[in-house]
Amino acid sequence: MEIKRVLIVDDDPDIVDYLGLFLEDEGYEVSSANRSSSALSALDDFEPDAVIVDVVLPGKSGLDLLVHIRQHERWSEIPIVVLTGNDAIVQDKGKNYLAGFHLERGADLVLAKPVDRDALVAVLARLTNPHGLGACTE
Amino acid sequence: MTLESAAPDTGAAGLEARPSARIVPGVDANSYELTDTSMYQRYWDEMPCYLSIHDRDFRIIEGNRRFREDFGERIGQYCYKVYKGRDSICDNCPVEATFADGKNHPSEQLLTTGSGKQVPVMVHTTPIRDAAGEVVAVMEMHTEIDEVKKLQDELRHSRERFAQLFEEVPCFITVQGPDRIIQHANRRYREVFGSAVGFECFRVYKHRDEQCLSCPMTDTFETGRINDYEASVLSKDGEELNLLITIAPLRNPEGVVDAVIEMGVDITQIRELQDQLTSIGLLVGSISHGIKGLLTGLDGGIYMVNSGFQRDKPERVKKGWEMVQRNVDRVRSMVLDILYYAKDRELIVEPINLGSMIGDLRDGVKKKAHENSVDLEFHVPDQVGVFDGDPQAIRAMLINLLENSLDACRMDGDKQRHRVDVRVKRSEPWMVIEVADNGIGMDRETREKIFSLFFSSKGLKGTGLGLFISNKIVDKHGGTIEVESEPGKGTTFIVRIPLVARPSTTVDGELAGGAPGIGN
Repeated sequence: MEIKRVLIVDDDPDIVDYLGLFLEDEGYEVSSANRSSSALSALDDFEPDAVIVDVVLPGKSGLDLLVHIRQHERWSEIPIVVLTGNDAIVQDKGKNYLAGFHLERGADLVLAKPVDRDALVAVLARLTNPHGLGACTE
Repeated sequence: MTLESAAPDTGAAGLEARPSARIVPGVDANSYELTDTSMYQRYWDEMPCYLSIHDRDFRIIEGNRRFREDFGERIGQYCYKVYKGRDSICDNCPVEATFADGKNHPSEQLLTTGSGKQVPVMVHTTPIRDAAGEVVAVMEMHTEIDEVKKLQDELRHSRERFAQLFEEVPCFITVQGPDRIIQHANRRYREVFGSAVGFECFRVYKHRDEQCLSCPMTDTFETGRINDYEASVLSKDGEELNLLITIAPLRNPEGVVDAVIEMGVDITQIRELQDQLTSIGLLVGSISHGIKGLLTGLDGGIYMVNSGFQRDKPERVKKGWEMVQRNVDRVRSMVLDILYYAKDRELIVEPINLGSMIGDLRDGVKKKAHENSVDLEFHVPDQVGVFDGDPQAIRAMLINLLENSLDACRMDGDKQRHRVDVRVKRSEPWMVIEVADNGIGMDRETREKIFSLFFSSKGLKGTGLGLFISNKIVDKHGGTIEVESEPGKGTTFIVRIPLVARPSTTVDGELAGGAPGIGN
């Protein structure tokens, strides 16, 4: 089975280190970007199968980045997991914020901090392997 | 004298004393159209003053009871003889004047009664006309000045009582005209807002040069409605007060609202309590957000320590443990920050080397300044030395001021390049820190409010906490923080902190006892 790639976008080096090691332990190949602007070039360079984005980033926020990716010619369909410590965003899955952009598809998953590791690997497995076991049937 | 006892008397005197019957020969008594002469006769007699009717020859042709009592039966005699004991007409005779122009000629006179007593009186004269409108007689009314005085005293007394009420009511009361100029202000108002009479309310309340955009008085002047609203105003000393204000119309005799009365009740303390509750709510939100981030870090560190042991990767264990420590440190400083909002945290005072503290800050802030196209310069002399302070608090205060200056530069679109200068100097007994920017600047209103909780001029970007905390920190150190600013020119914050801590911060503080560098 081919190794899946995950891009982590977070400005906190601790989170990048931790989630990077954890996902490598789980068999993923990981790269990171510390802000929205560098995340777009990382997409082209690293060609990930999924992206994990923190909401609070310096400059453009993670939700801005999400909108940008969804409107991107090449990356609009990539699975995106949003991480946030903000309950309001978790509860409405970021929909309120994104409603203004008329997006059909926002984040594939909004995960509250601190991250539930089991939930994260389960959803990544499903999102990066849509035709395998546990594929999304929604 | 009562009416009952006067009644039979009047009845008897009624016919012969009927003024119209005897006034002037040739005048038709019916032209007076007195429907019940006896009733009018009674009022005429009962009037508590001297009433007399004079013909063109200045003879008294009628007098009321009071007149008869004090001057005797003198009908038919010359008035100057009766009233003054004179043999010729007085100078400036009001009766003569009324015969001439048909108007009232009030004056003050001194009369001598039949018993020789002198009575000071106010005199009013009224013309009596015949059917053709000709003045045929003049009625003179003499009111004892003592009576007038009594009435005037009563009036003055009740005016004084109302004035006292106006003065002493424990709220702020003003009367203002449509031009918004304060015509009257009560004592409490003058105490707090200064001698405001003659100035517009917006100058006094808001320290503004022009009328507020939405002025509730406009509605009261236009519609006569009472308006209630809440306002944040500034005292003469620049202190911010929350007032609950009621504006009510004052109408002139024509019914037009030509002034309003404004009554303000000080609800600052209530608002402060509400603000504290709000701030607690705000804190809970931001704390929970922050804690989740820190928990993620701790969670990550613990994962790395555990998995490092399992996989026998000492490097990973080391890295994970550092992560745990780092996040525990963050929790600690976060708790200290919270304590600044929530309650007065004791200072942990130790000698601070300002030069090296700024050295630690320099790179981070310079980078941020550079990103905002701001030239940031630190002017710190080598021999600036140490002073007593809480390093964490002083550092937080410095960062707050610097970030504020950078924001002021970023918000100012008028200049190509911006600069922020930080100057530090030792000026016994103070350590003086100046943070000067050439950013957007502030008007007087903003300048006076910047240290208030939740006041922000930065829209969504500001929480209104930073400068509030900075001010609190400087205050706890026994120092002062001053601001000089002009719109469009820039802002300078000048912080003065005592070089040697006040005894209370080093001896009383529980935490301070364990801190290094105390007591020297």
